[in-house]
Amino acid sequence: MEEKKHTSSHYELELQEIKSNLIYLGALTEKAIHLAMQSLTGRDTEMANKVIANDYEIDKMDKEIEEKCITILALRQPTAIDLRFITTAIKITGHLERIGDMAVNIAEKAVQLNEEAQLKAYIDLPHMSSIVEEMVAKSLDSMIKRDLGIAEEVRQIEQVVDDLNEQIFRELLTFMMEDAKSIHRALLIMHISKNLERVADHAQGIADMVTYMITGENVRHFNKGNGHKET
Amino acid sequence: MEFNIIKLNKVNFFYGQVRALTDISMKFEKNKVTALIGPSGCGKSTLLRLLNRMNDLIDGTRVEGEIIFENKNIYAPDVDPVEIRRKIGMVFQKPNPFPKTIYNNISYGPKLTGIGFEDRDALVERSLKQAVLWDEVKDILNKSAMNLSGGQQQRLCIARALAMKPDVLLMDEPTSALDPISTAKIEELIDELKKDYTIIIVTHNMQQAARISDETAFFYLGNMIEYNKTDKIFTNPDVKQTEDYITGRFG
Repeated sequence: MEEKKHTSSHYELELQEIKSNLIYLGALTEKAIHLAMQSLTGRDTEMANKVIANDYEIDKMDKEIEEKCITILALRQPTAIDLRFITTAIKITGHLERIGDMAVNIAEKAVQLNEEAQLKAYIDLPHMSSIVEEMVAKSLDSMIKRDLGIAEEVRQIEQVVDDLNEQIFRELLTFMMEDAKSIHRALLIMHISKNLERVADHAQGIADMVTYMITGENVRHFNKGNGHKET
Repeated sequence: MEFNIIKLNKVNFFYGQVRALTDISMKFEKNKVTALIGPSGCGKSTLLRLLNRMNDLIDGTRVEGEIIFENKNIYAPDVDPVEIRRKIGMVFQKPNPFPKTIYNNISYGPKLTGIGFEDRDALVERSLKQAVLWDEVKDILNKSAMNLSGGQQQRLCIARALAMKPDVLLMDEPTSALDPISTAKIEELIDELKKDYTIIIVTHNMQQAARISDETAFFYLGNMIEYNKTDKIFTNPDVKQTEDYITGRFG
């Protein structure tokens, strides 16, 4: 949907800036997840440490976006679609920052796993990761294009990720039952799977906010019986 | 229970050949604050002045349709406009106290129309208290109203309107000439007054409309584009034109 431009070109610019910052932050977090997973599958500890070190950039961007939003709230008193965009942006940047934290968690686990012999070939995790990365990309796409259909798609995919997480969990349980020495590594992998599942939750959170931004209707917490719980 | 105090049926208004309002049908709820917003020349002030027949005073104007107040069209031939203006009071943009004492500003109207048989001192005190001005002026009631600050003068004008015991108070940009503190006092007052009166306010200050009104009507080029709950208008309006206006994407 094409929006008319604001009479104040400066205001227009400020809003555009927040949008492009969100896109940039989205790209940073997507990359962080991708590299964290690569550090695991490629047993590349150096890369894992890079992901951990680069998180400050994500945090910095998050803070910057939030400050810009607060400034607009204070100085421009946005209404209607602008108000919904700003509140959405504040939430989205929070979700993205948390996704960055998940990447750090994954990288930290990768560092530990890389020190030990590989428990099993990583098949489901990279698959799950690619789905999750796509969810994050799509959720941001739905914001940029203001497309309810894409936001809905993200919500649909979320269930697939939940199922995958469950499946990985069950598989790792059998490993642990068979060999007690595998417990430590299996638990680390479980954490990674859980972290990916949480990234999917955040992507859904973004999609929900986009739906709110477009329609004014709050759809959060309606899609899951147990709500979004951070564990 | 919700109750409509004024009802407009297909109201059209003309300044000579120029149509200023087109087919306006709307209801104003009792004990609510309704804000009329829109760009200059959209007809909102014209509409406000129609509600107590202030436009009668302008030559060459013509009204079509009905404005029902107390079950009667206020433009019916047997209706006395002066009586309408007593029941539907008005406060203007610029404070316009009479060049008289504070006391006489309040008592002048009731004395002239013979209403308010109650003790005149009591009427003055009650009106000033309702306008939250009493504490500031109780010791200088016999001083000229012209010595008061702009914000005090505007509250005096509100008190003066209240002294006539109206049902409805029309306000045409009542704070546009005031500083932020005086504005806040008037806004606070409006919130207080809606318990006893119905208030219809024209404002260019969108944030003010958002802060003080229950309902908001958006006008453009003499048409009513959207009439909705205020929080709906400012968070998620139904009509794109409303959204463009309130978000500053107009013209």
